[in-house]
Amino acid sequence: MTRGFDDVEFGEDLPELRPDTSVANVTLFTKAAGMFTGRFTDHEAARKQGLPGAIVPGIMSQAIFAAMIHRWAPEAELQTIDTVFRAPVIVDQPHRVTGVVTDMDDETRSVEIDLTLQNEAGETRVLGTATVRLP
Amino acid sequence: MILDLHTHSVKSDDGRAKVANYGQWIRKKEIPIDGFVLTEHRQFDAESDYSDLARKHGLIILKGSEVETEYGHVLVFGVTPALQQAFDFSDIRLPLARVLEACEEHGAVAAPCHPGRTRVGMCAHVDELGVPPGVRMVETLNGGSRGSEDQAAQALAEQQGYKGFGGSDSHIVSHVGRCATRFPGPIASESELVEALRALDFEALSWKAPS
Repeated sequence: MTRGFDDVEFGEDLPELRPDTSVANVTLFTKAAGMFTGRFTDHEAARKQGLPGAIVPGIMSQAIFAAMIHRWAPEAELQTIDTVFRAPVIVDQPHRVTGVVTDMDDETRSVEIDLTLQNEAGETRVLGTATVRLP
Repeated sequence: MILDLHTHSVKSDDGRAKVANYGQWIRKKEIPIDGFVLTEHRQFDAESDYSDLARKHGLIILKGSEVETEYGHVLVFGVTPALQQAFDFSDIRLPLARVLEACEEHGAVAAPCHPGRTRVGMCAHVDELGVPPGVRMVETLNGGSRGSEDQAAQALAEQQGYKGFGGSDSHIVSHVGRCATRFPGPIASESELVEALRALDFEALSWKAPS
């Protein structure tokens, strides 16, 4: 389905995403991205570096946000993703990703989306905004 | 009157919210607050005038600051040009005693925020540095803190006899109003806010999902 600018309302929630942050999926991502370090794929190696466990790479969290946006609006042109990393996103723990439209620009037919990635305890690990142009 | 005492806009380095969108969001989502205070990090935004926006949305929009001390982050309400000369807002290791003293001298209020957080909160520093004199209130409900961090803040307030207030600590639009503070009477300016805070007659509120 094509979601155009005229179909969107200020305050609209994007469908929530439950991302696959398993070690298997993170390993696939790091291989594709050429990120060969144990801190992303090996809990023990990450703990030795002082982390609470293996962590999801920051660019994977951004990719998860992008995936949520494109599931909502497949033809959206993602112009910016601006993230603040508040706390590590721990591999193998369940997370939820939410988005909501918080600004609309009629002239450019673009919207701004608030983005949040939370763990099971409801703690925000990553937040940010995306600017998206819609057909 | 209910005010969110702790918000950030794009003026803060980690803020992503436009003030206009805060107003739009509060009205669209019927967030039960009457206004908010912009407390930008390590600065006072003297130049911005939000009075038209405040009128448009029927909200109180006030300005303060969030400065950094050896006891963690501290909100400052009632900033004046004289107070801005009293200490360097951009200094990341201000002596809390100096901030409290300057605020007292210049008709402002300083109040530690998110005291339950590690590093940037007061609780973590009390064991090492001792209980600082002159603190009268702390943020016991913070929209960005974990449940356990708010609990630590509340325990500190109870032990030390501090009055607790609430603020969302919002950095994005949709987080405004998650926590706030209820005052018994109306507040329309920074000086009235200072007066209301000094009266210590307020209550911290939260609409956060429990964690």
